[in-house]
Amino acid sequence: MGLGLRRMAGVYRQYWRINILTTLEYRENFLVWFAFTFVYHGSSIAALWIVLSRFPSMNGWSFRDMAFLYAIWMVAHALHNTLFSTVGEIPEHIRDGEFDRLLVRPLDTLFQAIATPGQVFPDELVLAIFTFVAATIYAGVHVDALFLTFIPPIVIGGALIDLGINLIISTAAFWFVKVDALRWIFVQLEQEFTRYPITIYTRSVRLVLTFVFPFAFMNYFPARYFLHKGMSGLGLPPVAGLLTPAIGVVFVALAYVFWRFGLNRYQGVGH
Amino acid sequence: MAIIEATDLTKVFRRIVRRPGIGGAVRALFSREYEDKVAVDGVNFTLAEGELVGYLGPNGAGKSTTIKILTGILVPTSGSVRVAGVVPYQRRQENAENIGVVFGQRSQLYWDLPLRESFELLRAIYDVPRNRYLENLAHFSAILDLERFFDTPVRQLSLGERMRGDFAAAMLHDPKIVYLDEPTIGLDVVAKEAIREFITRVNRERGTTVILTTHDLADVERLTPRVILIDEGRVIFDGALERLRTEYGTHRTLVVTFAEAPIEIDVPGAELEGREGLVARLRFDRRLLSAEALIRRVMERYPISDVSIIEPDIDTIVRRIYVEGYQHGPVGTPS
Repeated sequence: MGLGLRRMAGVYRQYWRINILTTLEYRENFLVWFAFTFVYHGSSIAALWIVLSRFPSMNGWSFRDMAFLYAIWMVAHALHNTLFSTVGEIPEHIRDGEFDRLLVRPLDTLFQAIATPGQVFPDELVLAIFTFVAATIYAGVHVDALFLTFIPPIVIGGALIDLGINLIISTAAFWFVKVDALRWIFVQLEQEFTRYPITIYTRSVRLVLTFVFPFAFMNYFPARYFLHKGMSGLGLPPVAGLLTPAIGVVFVALAYVFWRFGLNRYQGVGH
Repeated sequence: MAIIEATDLTKVFRRIVRRPGIGGAVRALFSREYEDKVAVDGVNFTLAEGELVGYLGPNGAGKSTTIKILTGILVPTSGSVRVAGVVPYQRRQENAENIGVVFGQRSQLYWDLPLRESFELLRAIYDVPRNRYLENLAHFSAILDLERFFDTPVRQLSLGERMRGDFAAAMLHDPKIVYLDEPTIGLDVVAKEAIREFITRVNRERGTTVILTTHDLADVERLTPRVILIDEGRVIFDGALERLRTEYGTHRTLVVTFAEAPIEIDVPGAELEGREGLVARLRFDRRLLSAEALIRRVMERYPISDVSIIEPDIDTIVRRIYVEGYQHGPVGTPS
């Protein structure tokens, strides 16, 4: 096992090397992406601001609070996009047969799928971290040892929740081959449900966002904790906001079980 | 010692029955019918360590499915398989250490980067010790002339250069067995020769077991003393290439140039295959009639100016088996 991990670390480093070299090979493309990242997130924040300037607060959340809410999600999501976005390309590789290549190599299939480079650059993550720092100051969040200790694992937990969703959708490709529609729906819903405090939704939606697809743990519960927002409608204490890392790990583990199930099916019956 | 053992290997796929056109596709949205397709049907064979075998068959015969089972990509529906002592689908990663795979139509090299970067990655994936890696690289470069394009992005390589790169890539970790799935497809003569040379040397010098699927029978004639023919998922011949030639290459062709054009050509024991001006092609069964006897019969009937004999080539033989099917019951047993 120790040897396996050492090997995986070596492979992971090599994959990133390839990734960065490939990205630099297409400088113009990279610069366009970089600009797009700014425009995309800038317009999201602007849209939020427009809504909020008409309604000074939403269920007790001011614009400043919501900037913080958005920023936590943004960092977690950016971390996911930087490290795990290639999981989303699995369906394409199943369809064109490239996936078989992963199966004839002496490493875990999912590890390879994650490590395989997809022209990712940490630009989004860098931008997200700047936004997060700004939003934290803007929202007047009290930065203490607790905050500094918990924010990194919360962000990682949030990225794992994203990974879980991504993996579940990609696994569906073992049955349906093409899963674009499913992915699009989830991308839209995630954006919708992480932008506002979930208290604006009905109880059933909140239950789903908490216990089924735990997007609420990516940003809502942690933000509520650090902004001292009191009880949520679901009766969970504020400290639930610190559970995000655990939720992320469990959610990914469940997604992985589903992945193994799908992979066995693929090897058993083809597609 | 057997390095690959396949016993009663069977793979059944469940497929959606597709009806033609948009109407059919819309109907399939609501009700689906399935059918079972038997891709591999009770295949048996054994390979000894260091053998070089051609695995042949028409498109859809089950070649790729067999290879996918041997490489651990697919689980067989029934039957058993062992590759270097390992059941591939049960211990996929362990099996992967032992094998190298070249899919002729699909590269494992990184398109945008020089060959060396892909090789470095593979070195890490297979955990090849640095010395061994450099040794292998030097050896392969010498045979495949890799140095010339080692630092060029793969996307700028010719197909032949890319294939050479892919071959070296598949061999960097000293696999015991390599599976070559149509490795020479689309290559020019020079590149084909380089690849064939490489396969022969790897097999001879390193004792690597090689399974080669191909449609180019010149590959087979040059490379593989033993062939396994598969059709509709079943092994229809397994044995020496020579035996395939003697058992199926029963018909030779006598090409006759007449001194003057006869009105009608009729020679007992021979079948007129074609005729063009003064030249006629007569097909005859080697077992029933000697060439000498046939020539005598022709000369008794017509004035001729020249004769020559065409021996059946492997291409013709295999085509005949594909088209006519296998009629005489299994001929080959593993040699």
